[in-house]
Amino acid sequence: MLSQFIFSGLALGSIYGLVALGFTVIYKATQVFNFAQGMLMVCGAYFAVTASIHLGLPFPLTIAFILVGAGILGIAIYFLLIKPLGGQALLPMIMITIALSIILRAVIELIYGGAPLTLRLPLPSGVFVLGDVRISQLHVTAAVVSWLCMLLFIVFFRRSRAGLLMRATADGYEAAVLSGIRVDRINAAAWAIGTMLAAIGGVFLCQLQLVSVELENIGLLALPAVVIGGLQSVPGAILGGLLVGLIEQLASGYISPKARDIFIYVPLLLILFIRPWGLFGQKELGRV
Amino acid sequence: MMSPCNHESLLSVAGLSVSYGGKALVLSGIDLSVGKGEIVAILGANGAGKTTLIRAISGLLKLHGGAILAGQIKIGADDTTRLAPETIVRLGLGQVPEGRLVFKNLTVEENLDVGAAVLPREKGRRTMAAVYHLFPRLAERRTQLAGLMSGGEQQMLALGRALASSPRLILVDELSLGLAPLIVRDIYAQFKTIRSEFGTSMLIVEQNARLALDVSERAYVLERGEVVLSGLSADVATSARIHESYLGVQAEASHG
Amino acid sequence: MSNGVTAYLVRLRHNALPTTLRVIGVAVLLAILLYLPYVLQFRSIFGVRLSNMQLLNIGLSQVNLTLISIIGAVSLNYLTGCAGLVSVGHAAFFALGSMVAAATGMHLKLPFLATLVAAMLAGAMAGVVAGLPSLRVRGLYFVLSTLAIHFIVVFVFAEYQYAFHDVTGVAVGDAKIGSFEIDSGIKWYFFLLPITVLSCLLMRNTLFHREGRAVLAMRDNELAAAAAGIDVRILKLKVFAFSSAFASLAGALQAYYLSNVAAEMYSLNFAIQFIAIIIVGGMGTIGGGVIGAIVWLLLPSILMGAATEVKSGPGDFASFLLAHRPQIVNLIFGSIVALILIFAPHGIAGFLRPLWQRMIGGLPWRGRT
Ligand SMILES: Nc1ncnc2c1ncn2[C@@H]1O[C@H](COP(=O)(O)OP(=O)(O)OP(=O)(O)O)[C@@H](O)[C@H]1O
Ligand SMILES: [Mg+2]
Repeated sequence: MLSQFIFSGLALGSIYGLVALGFTVIYKATQVFNFAQGMLMVCGAYFAVTASIHLGLPFPLTIAFILVGAGILGIAIYFLLIKPLGGQALLPMIMITIALSIILRAVIELIYGGAPLTLRLPLPSGVFVLGDVRISQLHVTAAVVSWLCMLLFIVFFRRSRAGLLMRATADGYEAAVLSGIRVDRINAAAWAIGTMLAAIGGVFLCQLQLVSVELENIGLLALPAVVIGGLQSVPGAILGGLLVGLIEQLASGYISPKARDIFIYVPLLLILFIRPWGLFGQKELGRV
Repeated sequence: MMSPCNHESLLSVAGLSVSYGGKALVLSGIDLSVGKGEIVAILGANGAGKTTLIRAISGLLKLHGGAILAGQIKIGADDTTRLAPETIVRLGLGQVPEGRLVFKNLTVEENLDVGAAVLPREKGRRTMAAVYHLFPRLAERRTQLAGLMSGGEQQMLALGRALASSPRLILVDELSLGLAPLIVRDIYAQFKTIRSEFGTSMLIVEQNARLALDVSERAYVLERGEVVLSGLSADVATSARIHESYLGVQAEASHG
Repeated sequence: MSNGVTAYLVRLRHNALPTTLRVIGVAVLLAILLYLPYVLQFRSIFGVRLSNMQLLNIGLSQVNLTLISIIGAVSLNYLTGCAGLVSVGHAAFFALGSMVAAATGMHLKLPFLATLVAAMLAGAMAGVVAGLPSLRVRGLYFVLSTLAIHFIVVFVFAEYQYAFHDVTGVAVGDAKIGSFEIDSGIKWYFFLLPITVLSCLLMRNTLFHREGRAVLAMRDNELAAAAAGIDVRILKLKVFAFSSAFASLAGALQAYYLSNVAAEMYSLNFAIQFIAIIIVGGMGTIGGGVIGAIVWLLLPSILMGAATEVKSGPGDFASFLLAHRPQIVNLIFGSIVALILIFAPHGIAGFLRPLWQRMIGGLPWRGRT
């Protein structure tokens, strides 16, 4: 039993890690704590529905459609909502993302109806049995793809020039502007990437469950994940996601599904008291 | 007293008035120019408006809640009065802002890389090499996080980053702030080299008037947002006015 | 700070309308408030029948729920708008209030009014606990601690519900004062109206005392406030206790009014709705909370009333609107919040404030100046 829970916890945790990573990218670039991250994930699932069911696109084009759609959505959000608000206080910035998630939910329900949908993408769906652990291929695929995306992002972030400019902008807005960085483009790119990562997570989640706006609640687990991992830390987001996935599976497996929240949010509260910068983050350089 | 500017003008500011949030004017009717290859100093007491002037030139006013109410700023032939800062950088303006704005979580090399990012790759590499040549200390600390360096080294890095974009003109705002006199002298000693090697003109804001007047050819003195005195640095240095109101205060402050 | 306030009030005096006009204005407002429930109950004014449309499709029950929400919104605005402590955990205190009211009524057999007091006390105590993280973390991290508290309290509520009640929810006793039972819309209205008005005035008047000014000072600059000799930490806990007590009161009242409340009701969206209310109404003012709650709770019916009306017109569109009522309402509210954030950061109260102050400025209950 234990190994079963650990396996599915790690697989789910990889998806959370992916969504949380998208969250961190957005947060690092624009200091926006994105409460809509869960809804962006849901958007990914509905992009998949649109491409695969409504447009009848073949699988590779479906993937392209999801990525392009998510990218455009992220850019539009940045220019329509985030930029006009221009680095205001904490609450307006949080609230604009909440408003965004309310709007997105309403639009999705208007277009697709409120009822959950079934979507079967041509992903591996068999089951291996390894000892007493049933290993679903879908879980494995989700974990592998999530890790690939995370790896890809880290290479981009650490090694490419665009990644460098992104890190510079995250470090200091004024210095970035004075170095000639076109901050708007960088920020828009960060939103695009963050949305794409969430959307990929959404595609996998909607394969493990039905497609519905209620997936948002699962996506919201990215919030404790990033805080547990350390808000500013890219590896922290990924590890935090894994941890939350594990806790969730163990808590719902051994105790009850309802107990999940308690086992995630009580540790969150403790971490806020003991190590507000997260398990894997560091106290910020140069902050008083 | 006004010295006729016999250089070709690189930066020209005419009739510039600025306020923050529509309140009282912080700068009113400033006229100023920097010729090609010139080093020009701006002096003035705290709150005189020096930083504000720098911000107006580099396009950063808006970020700080200020606005240009009147006047014009030109860099070379381009009118930059209302351009965005990142565009102005691309027209050849580098800046070492007040308060050591380096990217603290990036390494020294990455900091310079960001500075050079506005140039084509090959040219960027060359200017970076020149910066390392100018400040060997930066070369030694290439892989160190900027935030972990000493204040003087960070200031050096800020200057290096500005130079890495191979600007025609750099603005330096209170480089000496909070640094030991020795390292300030070290950096200032490089100013003439910078001009000859990078072909960069400089506009420097400095509280330490003696230092600034030593290194510059011409100087402007700001008081409550207006230019009250300008001319050749040597003349400004001997002017009774600056002795009383500025060098005098400076000397007292540093002794008392 | 205090000089600024005085100057401001003096200026207000000068702009204020003549006293007689103001007294008349307040009297008219009072008369309207007193007559309103009868109009809504009997759907007529001075004997003239009004159509649903003329009443903007508003019923008495919505008004009663609005009165309760006003207490909730104003208490959140006190915490977030006035003291600068951003909380997404407001639903938790509603949940707590209703749970305590139900539990003390059922297990301890306390009478109705006593359970309300118990809810407030429990709210205040829980508020202190919820405020503790504010001593350690700031800004975003504090917001997250309130998020955690939300989930923890709602979990406890659900456990209580499943242990002592059933899946349909927690049943709350009758609202009885002695042998007088509050069992009709009009009775509820006249019970809630004074409670709401008193709660608002109480919260408002604290802001005019020394400590209240300290609250505002703390929001604007915590370090400066601390330097000025305010014990910021104690003050934060006090503010939290005060605000939570009223939120719990609102929760308890709501539970009695609905007579049955379930854990699912207190979702994160429930808390978010209150943040939206104070943003739409206007942050940092008591009036903002009131206006926001009124707009937020009544606008949906008004919109839907309008939709019913146009049904006679292009039929498809109207029936589409009716069939997707919650989505349309959410779409509109989401957009309103976004637009207000971008274009009118002071909310609706920001527009109305000058008018209101000319009306009210200088009346005796205004508190010391
Ligand atoms: N962001 C701002 N908003 C409002 N007022 C400002 C702002 N920045 C500066 N000021 C005001 O403008 C005036 C000039 O400030 P400025 O920073 O330009 O002076 P300075 O000459 O650089 O002084 P210092 O030598 O202390 O750096 C000051 O009165 C200051 O209070
Ligand atoms: Mg300055």
